[in-house]
Amino acid sequence: MKQDTAAKMMIISACAFFGLALTMGILTALKFVVPTVGDIEYLSMPRLRMLHTNINLFGWLLQANMGILFWILPRILHTKLFSEKLGVAMGVLYNLALLGGLIGIATGHVKNVEYGEIASPFDYLVAVCWVMFAINVFGTVATRKVKYLYVTVWYTLGAVIWTTFVYITGNMLSQMPMVAGTNQANLIWFYVHNAVGLIFTPLGVAIAYYLIPKQLNTPIYSHKLSMIGFWVISFVYVWTGAHHMIHGPSPHWLQTVSIIFSFSLIIPVMAVITNFFGTFATAPRGTRMVGPIPKLLMMGTVYYILTCLQGPFQAIRSVNEITSKTDWVVGHAHMALFGAFSYYAMAGVYYVAPKLAGRKLYSEKMGDLHFWIMTIASVPFFAVLWIGGVIQGFAWLNPEITFVQTLEALKHAHWMRFFSGAFIFGAYCLFFYNIMQTFFGKYREEDEAAAVVAE
Amino acid sequence: MKIDVEKSLLWTATGAFLIFSIGAVLTTIVPPMVNPEMWKTDHPVHEYTEQELRGIAIYKSEGCVYCHTQQIRHLESDERRYGWRLVNAPPSDSWEYVNDRYNFLGTKRTGPDLARVGGKYSSEWHWAHFKDPRNMGEKFPNRKGIYEKVSIMPSFDYLSDEEIKDLTAYIQTLGRNKNWRVDAEGQPLNDYEK
Repeated sequence: MKQDTAAKMMIISACAFFGLALTMGILTALKFVVPTVGDIEYLSMPRLRMLHTNINLFGWLLQANMGILFWILPRILHTKLFSEKLGVAMGVLYNLALLGGLIGIATGHVKNVEYGEIASPFDYLVAVCWVMFAINVFGTVATRKVKYLYVTVWYTLGAVIWTTFVYITGNMLSQMPMVAGTNQANLIWFYVHNAVGLIFTPLGVAIAYYLIPKQLNTPIYSHKLSMIGFWVISFVYVWTGAHHMIHGPSPHWLQTVSIIFSFSLIIPVMAVITNFFGTFATAPRGTRMVGPIPKLLMMGTVYYILTCLQGPFQAIRSVNEITSKTDWVVGHAHMALFGAFSYYAMAGVYYVAPKLAGRKLYSEKMGDLHFWIMTIASVPFFAVLWIGGVIQGFAWLNPEITFVQTLEALKHAHWMRFFSGAFIFGAYCLFFYNIMQTFFGKYREEDEAAAVVAE
Repeated sequence: MKIDVEKSLLWTATGAFLIFSIGAVLTTIVPPMVNPEMWKTDHPVHEYTEQELRGIAIYKSEGCVYCHTQQIRHLESDERRYGWRLVNAPPSDSWEYVNDRYNFLGTKRTGPDLARVGGKYSSEWHWAHFKDPRNMGEKFPNRKGIYEKVSIMPSFDYLSDEEIKDLTAYIQTLGRNKNWRVDAEGQPLNDYEK
């Protein structure tokens, strides 16, 4: 089988899913301001929300990350992918499982697991795909032609191992008959938080650790910081699930533990961020921001700091009292998964797609335009959610204000969210067009002749 | 023997797993052992009937949890807001949920919390509310002085009459494991709506 078929297939599929996920997001946002839009069962707001999160997490982000890593890993390890056939089989099965799960969600066949609504048997199929991915990753590392494992490889290995347990706990163990009540809630929040923290963080960081030095053509700033970041994150992230239940009915000690570890997360995150910015700082000034890739990597890193500073502070009991359960949380989640990790994934797609197609990116200018529209739209998008969340949080403290009044106060914020979301979708269309043209479009021959062909 | 972790697939993978497993075990397996009230209790806890279980299945598949939490947090603002007729709602405790095969504690309140909603409204009210929720809430004047509906809850008129009854039966049980309607002397008021 032709080399990199699996990577190509998964990246194209992921980009298409991204558009579907954003469509669901915009429809959800529209329903907050015009609730009569699409008032039918399959388009009810909760169903749309479940589709939005699942398509984003599994259809777009996880799939894009896996596709990009299928290309990156063999390059770092100076070898071929362990089994291209296994990779393709996994990609096909993964997409089928996902489609089955999504149809299930639209028709109301769901689990009560946030971010893991895909019901059985499709969640088990996703787990099978994950094992196939793991075999390919371990196989590729085992058959490598270099001695040392680079940081990207550590994070990928970590993600593969951690996610196996996190996914099984959240999707299978939490649904066992003897697991109920707050015990189940604890397992599910262990999954929800670590889905972000131990799946998307390590995979996103792995990709950034490869792309930043490669794109800027400079060595990574500090090897020590890479090590601190990796080993500390593998220790502290997993403890934080219970911070979703602060002030709630779960054991007080567990909440305190999760708060302490949420705060400790500042350590690995700052190590990673310092490393990334350090690498940016050592690159030649004139060229380090040319094209969409370094811009996306830079902005992704900025959003990564902001999310990871927000996280520890909103886990403090007194701050949590205001922000928890409000729109603030939605803003926070979007900045992590959209702001930080989708930016890294888009940078990865921009980097890998031309190599897979064997020619230059269709249009660098369009890539820049995509970056600027998306970034400028994302700032008000996040900001209205935080401001709205704080307004809501303080309004809830006052028993004189009825619940519906607190909702009424957010009308403008929800309109802003819809419009800025629409701009984000517009920017995505540019991204999708650009990538599709790179793969399938016909453009000037001299570009192809000058193209950098993949090794 | 000198171990160079960065050269070894085995050591990197084992190390990452072991370090992770400390936190994983201590936050998932240990809590129900240390705090058995997370899964068992001596308090009388309501056993769901067939009809209520059907209601739970509808609550789950309609995704009610994405807008409605089911937890009165240990905060005065929660206790007052979700209380009713001058009685504060007591905070939710772990043991109240032990019979909840599917928990709906939730993370987001687009609508109000439902942890103590059982008995607050009559089943007839719920019927009308599921059919056309936006017509039941408060209305506020817009710039032109025209009163507009503010509730954004989707209507569930696509559910069959039976399904709405099942769902209502479940909702009427919420929060009733604690008989929280008591007067100043602690005497039960028993003024729940049916």
